[in-house]
Amino acid sequence: MSGLLREARFLLRDRGALLWLALALLLSAAATGFGIAEVRGQRATIAALLEEDARDRADAISKQEDWGGAAYAAFHLAYAPPSDFAFAALGQRDTAPWLHRVRMLALEGQIHEADTKNADFGLIGRFDFAFLAATIAPLLLILLLHDLRAGERVAGRHDLLVATAGAPQRLWRPRATVRLAGLAFAMLVPFWIGAGIEGAGIAKTLAASVLVMGGLAVWGLIVVAVGRLAAPPPVLLAVLVGLWLALALLVPALSRAVIEAAVPVPDGAEILMLQREAVNDAWDKPKAATMETFLARHPEWRSLGEVSKPFEWKWYYAFQQVGDQQAEPIVTAYREGRLARDAAAEWAALLSPAALVERGFERLAGTDMRAMIAYEDHVRAFHADLRAFHYPLFFRDPPYDPVVLKGLPRYQPMP
Amino acid sequence: MPPALEARSLSLVRDGTIVLNDVSFAVAPGEVYALLGGNGAGKSSTLLTFLGFLSPSGGEVLVAGRPVTQDVEAARSAIAYLPEAASLYGHLNAYENLGYFLDLAGRRVDRAAMDAALDQVALPPEARGRRMQSYSKGMRQKTAIALALLRDTPILLLDEPTSGLDPVAIDEFHAMVKALAAAGRTVLMVTHDVYGACQIADRVGLLRGGRMVGSFEAESGRRIDTETVHAAFAAREAA
Amino acid sequence: MSAPFRIAREEWRLWTRSRVVVVAAFIVAVLLAATSVLTALRLADEAERRTARQASAEATFFAQPDRHPHRMVHYGHYAFRTPPPLSAFDPGVDAVTGQSIYLEGHRQNTAMFADTRAAADLGGFAALTPANLYQLLIPLLLIIIGHGVVLRERESGTLSVLLAQGQTGLAIAGGKALALAGVAGLFLLPVAVLAGLSVTGGESPLAAGLLVGGYALYLAVWAALVLAVSLWVRQRSVALGVLVLVWLMVALIVPRIGINAASAAIDAPGKIESDLVMLAEERKLGDGHNAADPAFEALKKQVLEQYQAASVEELPVNWRGVVAGHSEAKLTALMNAHAERRMESEAAQARIVTWFGLASPTLAVGAASRALAGTDLATHHRFLRESEALRFDFVQGLNDLHATALTYADDAARSSDAEAEKRTRVNAASWRLLDTFRFVPDPAAARAARAALPLLLLFGWLAVLGGAIVAGARRLAP
Repeated sequence: MSGLLREARFLLRDRGALLWLALALLLSAAATGFGIAEVRGQRATIAALLEEDARDRADAISKQEDWGGAAYAAFHLAYAPPSDFAFAALGQRDTAPWLHRVRMLALEGQIHEADTKNADFGLIGRFDFAFLAATIAPLLLILLLHDLRAGERVAGRHDLLVATAGAPQRLWRPRATVRLAGLAFAMLVPFWIGAGIEGAGIAKTLAASVLVMGGLAVWGLIVVAVGRLAAPPPVLLAVLVGLWLALALLVPALSRAVIEAAVPVPDGAEILMLQREAVNDAWDKPKAATMETFLARHPEWRSLGEVSKPFEWKWYYAFQQVGDQQAEPIVTAYREGRLARDAAAEWAALLSPAALVERGFERLAGTDMRAMIAYEDHVRAFHADLRAFHYPLFFRDPPYDPVVLKGLPRYQPMP
Repeated sequence: MPPALEARSLSLVRDGTIVLNDVSFAVAPGEVYALLGGNGAGKSSTLLTFLGFLSPSGGEVLVAGRPVTQDVEAARSAIAYLPEAASLYGHLNAYENLGYFLDLAGRRVDRAAMDAALDQVALPPEARGRRMQSYSKGMRQKTAIALALLRDTPILLLDEPTSGLDPVAIDEFHAMVKALAAAGRTVLMVTHDVYGACQIADRVGLLRGGRMVGSFEAESGRRIDTETVHAAFAAREAA
Repeated sequence: MSAPFRIAREEWRLWTRSRVVVVAAFIVAVLLAATSVLTALRLADEAERRTARQASAEATFFAQPDRHPHRMVHYGHYAFRTPPPLSAFDPGVDAVTGQSIYLEGHRQNTAMFADTRAAADLGGFAALTPANLYQLLIPLLLIIIGHGVVLRERESGTLSVLLAQGQTGLAIAGGKALALAGVAGLFLLPVAVLAGLSVTGGESPLAAGLLVGGYALYLAVWAALVLAVSLWVRQRSVALGVLVLVWLMVALIVPRIGINAASAAIDAPGKIESDLVMLAEERKLGDGHNAADPAFEALKKQVLEQYQAASVEELPVNWRGVVAGHSEAKLTALMNAHAERRMESEAAQARIVTWFGLASPTLAVGAASRALAGTDLATHHRFLRESEALRFDFVQGLNDLHATALTYADDAARSSDAEAEKRTRVNAASWRLLDTFRFVPDPAAARAARAALPLLLLFGWLAVLGGAIVAGARRLAP
């Protein structure tokens, strides 16, 4: 304990080390600040869009005269709001969609459209806390700790220090620990403040802090192990930077390439083409055949399932669903493929502390691949609700009454 | 009473070179022993084995009767070490350096005691509050010696303690060593200053090429004869 | 032999003897070679696939049977963006934006199915392309190899010897610069080879040459930085620490902060948001499916006058087709206005990010590299515009058919009368009105113009660092 105090006092006099810690603090504050700003922007966008969406839907429905037309014209906003922890890790929200406008038509043609984002953003990437903690912090730790022993050797103090201390651990352990803890605190304090502002909850903040400290501890072990080598500090730094590059950049990139080659995912464009062909073919196919496929899924409408006129709304929406059904196998394969890749990535992340920390943050923030797929599933569920609401109206065909439409399912975001 | 420091048939091989070859000597408690030799004779390595930084390839070294390799920490806690060209932390002043190193050794020493030690080594008071990177070589050496004193250990190991000191400082240093010996401390000094060694040492050992080639003792009441030692030092390696 | 060359040669000899240097260089070389080969193969594959897809989409369109033209408007078409030859080196935004767009009437869709949507998630640093390696890894290599060029002379005392012999600081600095340039030049080989291959693959020599030149400039900036630090800083560990810090900021942090800043400064509404705004305006234009919508009153009057008819049934053209064409034109104008606004916001954001190149040569070279390879945001925007032009073209062509090839009576009765419905089907040969779509990158001169600003920023960096080197060399003393 007294060793830690001694080294803490010593650290406060070490200007070089304090510079790195100040840098960490600054970067952490910047990352947290940017994250909070972005998340607030997204929430504001959602709020504004919800209003517009409700207005537009009411406006569209008011001009309609039948159930089919009302279903055709009414769009619904589906969204995944950023969680209270998303400020720390925006994760897949930058590449996967979290906003959709869906209507009663075939879902497969709508759900894969992403809201446009500036492509450069997805390419260069964002500076959020997760990136800082996973990728940058280890480099700062390396800069802080690589010359723990070698620096003293070069300065000619090593033997005196160790001889005075008696056991080497009495010197190196507190010194390394204080520096590591210093870096951890410099990074975590702005993060804690940010978590407080966002109301992220103690459990998540604690878990994230443990993740950060655990990651730093792993890197710390690596740095200290390499630091034992009898080589001058610049060589040690080069070796450690090389290791950092390997673990933070190369191993994840290679794993990613291997996973993508090993776990094939159907080409997304296939889904659309397939679904389009199915919907288009249905116009020319005998109506009875289409209705049969539909009624196999919805036997409850069998008694009302006859189509006599060249165009009936119930037939139109039936073949929309049939189109989706025909794309189902490949859609499922696409979804399973992505989940399989994510599961493989979970294992591969064990090889890279950086990937592990970043994925951990994404999991906590609900911005990992699984969360985005869960959102997609949620949108599909909402679309199913829409269909369940509309089918009775199409098949039973009561007189058109806009008041009924006030009971349209409302999209509720996932908690 | 066991010798404070003892080397028994100490041999040391590093990177294929024989650094020390069957070296034996003992330093009694309260004695001042000077280990003489030219560059590369193995003097510093001998000190490093006493401190447990190097492991003997053959034979053993003992501190207060216990082999160093058995309990390195105990050996180090009994020894205050002054390395050659000792440097402390340049960005700290003398007080802060002393405070840090003593804390490291597990000792708490107040300012007054530090000042007393610094007086003993004659470090100018106005320099004590300045950063050590502004000190001259002699001032740095003096601070390091003060540290060794403040360690308050029974044994002191000094490596070239007078290199970089001016003649006045050297005299002061010799006086201090004599006082230490009188107070019962054991001093093992490694140097190539023949004259100075003979001035203060009770016994002198001569190392050449890793071997102990000569041992000289002061006759009672007298100092060791410098001429004899010098001649032995300068002699070519005989059979 | 001139003094700088001798000094450089000595430096090269020293580097080939240093284990750290050789190992690091070897690893980087292997990585570069492997990544180049893999990316080149992957993109050649992609290019082939997308061209085949485009041809297949066109064939499918032509192969549609006789039917009502409006069905074909909803059947739609696909546009694919084939990657340009230099994308083997810098895939740019290709993986992030979708590469296919569904083109249909009444709507502008967004590009779909970006590779990154289905990628394995291993963190934000996990994309390995030759361009990435050049931007991130080679500067690091230069740092490790070169941070001590002058420092080691100082440490070993040979600096004073050199200066005493009459070497000027400038000659020494020149020699060291030459040594670093040699290493940088060696590592330019892969990009030169890829550029050469792309020229054989049809790329313009100007673009390929400028790309290699741009990266040469980038590596020169880093070499200059390394030399400047080696001249000005006195301790080796401090020099290395400073350089690694600069690399960290310049290559990793500043680019991302630029993104954050651009995102915060300019609010580019997403498509959904601007769609909703547009919809409010669209309502005023009337529903193109409903020819009886009161919004078409003015049009009705005008057309009736034009053909001297008393009612729509008497028109020689199909009133529904006329309405469809008219509303499509109006809608498209509105959608284009909004799309242009969105693209302008994104372009403004991109400009902000490029100006951050003042603080980060990596951003600058990235922007230049993508512009020259034809994989930047501007190219994507052009793809969006050209596919929109394709869409408008074939939709209006179909609407023309709708107006001229069917009668209004048949069209109005087709939902109830099967015979009328058959008469509303147009001969399938008409589907040939669809243009073939082959997306090619901008002409090389246009790409070079877009890359001019970032390249200029790099020159600026080089000039400033050059000044620092000259100043440091003049003051060189042991």
